[in-house]
Amino acid sequence: MLTPAQKTNSAALAFLAAGSIWLLVGTLYGLVSAIQLVAPEFFNNIAWLMFGRSRPVHVNTVIYGFVINMLIGCGLYYMPALLKCRLWSETMAWWSFVLWNLAVISGPVSFAYGYSQGREYAEYIWSADLAITGAVVLLAINSVMTILNRKENFLYVAVWYFVATFLWTGFSYPLGNVIWHPSTGAMTGLLDSIILWFYAHNLPGLVLTPLATGAAYYVIPRVARTPLYSHTLSVIGFWTLVAFYTHIGGHHIIQAPIPSWMRNIAVVHSMVMAVPVFTVLANLWLTMRGAGGRVLADPAGRFVVAGSIWYLITSIQGSAQSMPELQRVTHLNNWTIGHSHIAVLGFVGFIALGCMWHVLPLIVRRRIYAPRLINMQFGLLTTGLTGFFVVLTAAGLIEGHGWYNGETVYRTLAEMPTYMGLRAAFGMSIIAAAVVGLYNFCMTVWRGEPFTPEYVVEPEEDL
Amino acid sequence: MKMTPAIVIIGSIMAFWASMSVMVIMPAITLKVEPSEIWRPMTAEEQEGYRLYVRNGCSYCHSQFIRVMDWDLGAERIAQAGDYVDRGPDLMGSKRTGPDLSQEGGEHPDDWHLAHFTNPRNTSPISVMPSFAFLGADSIRKLTAFVQFEGMLMADQRVERQRHWKEAALQTYGKDLDSHVQWLHAMVPEVWRPMPNPYPALEADLARGRKIYQQFCIGCHGPVGDGRGQAAGFLNPMPLNFTVLRRHLVDNRYIGGLLYYQIMNGITGTAMPYFKKSLESEKIWDVANYLAVSFIGYSDANIEPTGIDASYEPRWQNRFQAPDGQGLSDERDSVGR
Ligand code: HEC
Ligand code: HEC
Ligand code: HEM
Ligand code: HEM
Repeated sequence: MLTPAQKTNSAALAFLAAGSIWLLVGTLYGLVSAIQLVAPEFFNNIAWLMFGRSRPVHVNTVIYGFVINMLIGCGLYYMPALLKCRLWSETMAWWSFVLWNLAVISGPVSFAYGYSQGREYAEYIWSADLAITGAVVLLAINSVMTILNRKENFLYVAVWYFVATFLWTGFSYPLGNVIWHPSTGAMTGLLDSIILWFYAHNLPGLVLTPLATGAAYYVIPRVARTPLYSHTLSVIGFWTLVAFYTHIGGHHIIQAPIPSWMRNIAVVHSMVMAVPVFTVLANLWLTMRGAGGRVLADPAGRFVVAGSIWYLITSIQGSAQSMPELQRVTHLNNWTIGHSHIAVLGFVGFIALGCMWHVLPLIVRRRIYAPRLINMQFGLLTTGLTGFFVVLTAAGLIEGHGWYNGETVYRTLAEMPTYMGLRAAFGMSIIAAAVVGLYNFCMTVWRGEPFTPEYVVEPEEDL
Repeated sequence: MKMTPAIVIIGSIMAFWASMSVMVIMPAITLKVEPSEIWRPMTAEEQEGYRLYVRNGCSYCHSQFIRVMDWDLGAERIAQAGDYVDRGPDLMGSKRTGPDLSQEGGEHPDDWHLAHFTNPRNTSPISVMPSFAFLGADSIRKLTAFVQFEGMLMADQRVERQRHWKEAALQTYGKDLDSHVQWLHAMVPEVWRPMPNPYPALEADLARGRKIYQQFCIGCHGPVGDGRGQAAGFLNPMPLNFTVLRRHLVDNRYIGGLLYYQIMNGITGTAMPYFKKSLESEKIWDVANYLAVSFIGYSDANIEPTGIDASYEPRWQNRFQAPDGQGLSDERDSVGR
């Protein structure tokens, strides 16, 4: 019998499974946090559920647990598939899986007891930081070696994004988490904020975005059964992503007393982010032209297309709110929370789920147990997330304009219960989607109808 | 452009390092920040409080920097780079569910913080801040030390002011309540004392006053204004029982100006906060009228001296009868309705 580590794609499947589970755990913690913003004594004095502890569990679990796990799982499948070879080392991929998920588990466990480094998106304690760095380094080695041992000469764009993610994050993560200061995981003074937000923007910019973009580049041509529209657009989108995204971390702190040259760089680059965003979107959508019906009829394809639309909205909003004039009103309130959710769930989460539903049958060689449940999950997520976006943006504008006109936080607090109540309600819809997804995932793996995947040409480009 | 493995792998690493040297290495080398004029280091206890702040996620609801356009707590000083020297992590924060805390020190005396950390609804009825009673008394003391540090040398002056007036207040409070109230009133500038509430006590005004009372005051002064709200047990002096004021009308007639001044300005040294930032003129007059009518049973609203009537106020006749110097009145139901 083969051990799991010898079975092709077994690590990919493990990553996908973990992603599906963490989606449910993470959103439940989101609900726990959301309830406390409308009923602060609901979990009164239950230390491990207290907002200041449940919120980082939520955020880190959905980001590191759900979306990244799922997208790595997808990539570990599509990278060898595109390169027409096997993953260089399945065992090594398993080690990355173990290290990565140990770090994710450390969230609910350590934050619950107040062991947190407290810096947003860099909360994990030092040993978890080491585990994540280790996992990333292993993934980088594994991807590079797979590329070097490939059978297909041509490197498809999805592969660039996948391997580059780990090459960047291998530096970015330990740097941003100030791994050489184990006790605080931080620098001191303003430099700490500068480094933190450099990293905290590389997290969406150089981890989530490239993984999701790579996944979309994989799924859309396959579902549309057309070659990718343009190699040139792929190249422009890839290089401008790393060139611009790495400069915009400062837009999180433009109102803080950072040097003005950093502020200017951050704002300008946030505007030119339009280039990587629109080249990628144009490339994907033009690939679909004439095949739109086919893509939207495919449950997985629909997820990916919806994700690309959320990407458009997120990015337009992102560039707009980087302008100091607008940020006077939108900074520090629920507006930003709305942006985070359409970004991480709408753009990245939707594409992760779409790609997962697309590759899962290919990995387990069983048909999806119930394609209708995928559509149901899509409906639930779209409802919940649209509700989130509307409610949080409205709440943010009330807060932001109130403050700008001289109201205190305490006065706008009185306006919030309706909105926070609605957000908790819409959250239930997202949680229901997580449950449906997990059920469908398990049933597919255990009960799905076995089949031999018909050979669909791997995507290629018109050169 | 042909994307070979070498270009993808080496190129992306180089592109990343190029950006990183601009956005991280350059600031790390060039950013030489001198401590600002309000800077001082933390004491050991404040440092421990800060660790608790970091570890319990206070920063998800509180920011640590004041911007040019801010009006709320701490708006007296815009943050400067030199304020953060030696602080690690510096946790600027990205969300204000609660107010900015960078100038929190000395805003309130320690007993307010004890009541607040134990359960924020004690002092701030509509707060959504979590209760921190589970941390235990020792940790709450450290957290208090840290929040009293916030604002550094500027905070030290305010903390000193709180201490000074707490001592003064406790001197008379320790004797008896009436001499304490006399002292409180003696501290109010003379111009505010023989002053009536200039606006009528209409149903609508009182309803607004009641809403404000429930959002801001009820935790301390209690549902019936007797000073026995849920925070009372933590506070010294205790919140005022408004009924006592029946014995302390100025010239046996006036109370409106006094109430206004005390609500606007707060009583430094005691838990009574200032409300000047959250409540502006009309709201303070309304809540003052509500206190007077509901808990003192007498309002000086709209009595002489009056000036030219405000254009929008309807005609209203004040029928309240002032109590005598002992706080007693002939007609128990003096509301005049
Ligand atoms: C869920 C968000 C939340 C968390 C977490 C939170 N707070 Fe608050 N905090 C608030 C809100 C809302 C207010 C305003 C209402 C009030 O006074 O309670 C507030 C007020 C305060 C104030 C009083 C400010 C004033 O009016 O002078 C202090 C001090 C404070 N918080 C400290 C802390 C500390 C220390 C922690 C962590 C141990 C913390 N908070 C965690 C939401 C939060
Ligand atoms: C955190 C507790 C607290 C809150 C909240 C609070 N008070 Fe007070 N208040 C006090 C305390 C304590 C005193 C008494 C100080 C003393 O006796 O020295 C006081 C005294 C007063 C006085 C002084 C009366 C006088 O004759 O000098 C007025 C008026 C008053 N409060 C009104 C209000 C109003 C109106 C609100 C709400 C908008 C409010 N208070 C909210 C604690 C509080
Ligand atoms: C997979 C789905 C989800 C993702 C990817 C996600 C992501 C995030 C992120 C990135 C943040 C940090 C926001 C910031 O600091 O700007 C956040 C905060 C939050 N999320 Fe979610 N979330 C998801 C689902 C949910 C659900 C279902 C709920 C509620 C039921 C929820 C409630 C919250 C709350 C209450 C906060 C804290 C907001 C605050 O501090 O005011 N989230 N989430
Ligand atoms: C063109 C692209 C984008 C730009 C210019 C942009 C800009 C911004 C800005 C200015 C903020 C700070 C808002 C504030 O605090 O006032 C922000 C926050 C955030 N963005 Fe974006 N964004 C973009 C795309 C994305 C994408 C693709 C993601 C996710 C994959 C993302 C995730 C986030 C998150 C999670 C936050 C919240 C950070 C926090 O906790 O405060 N953004 N973005």
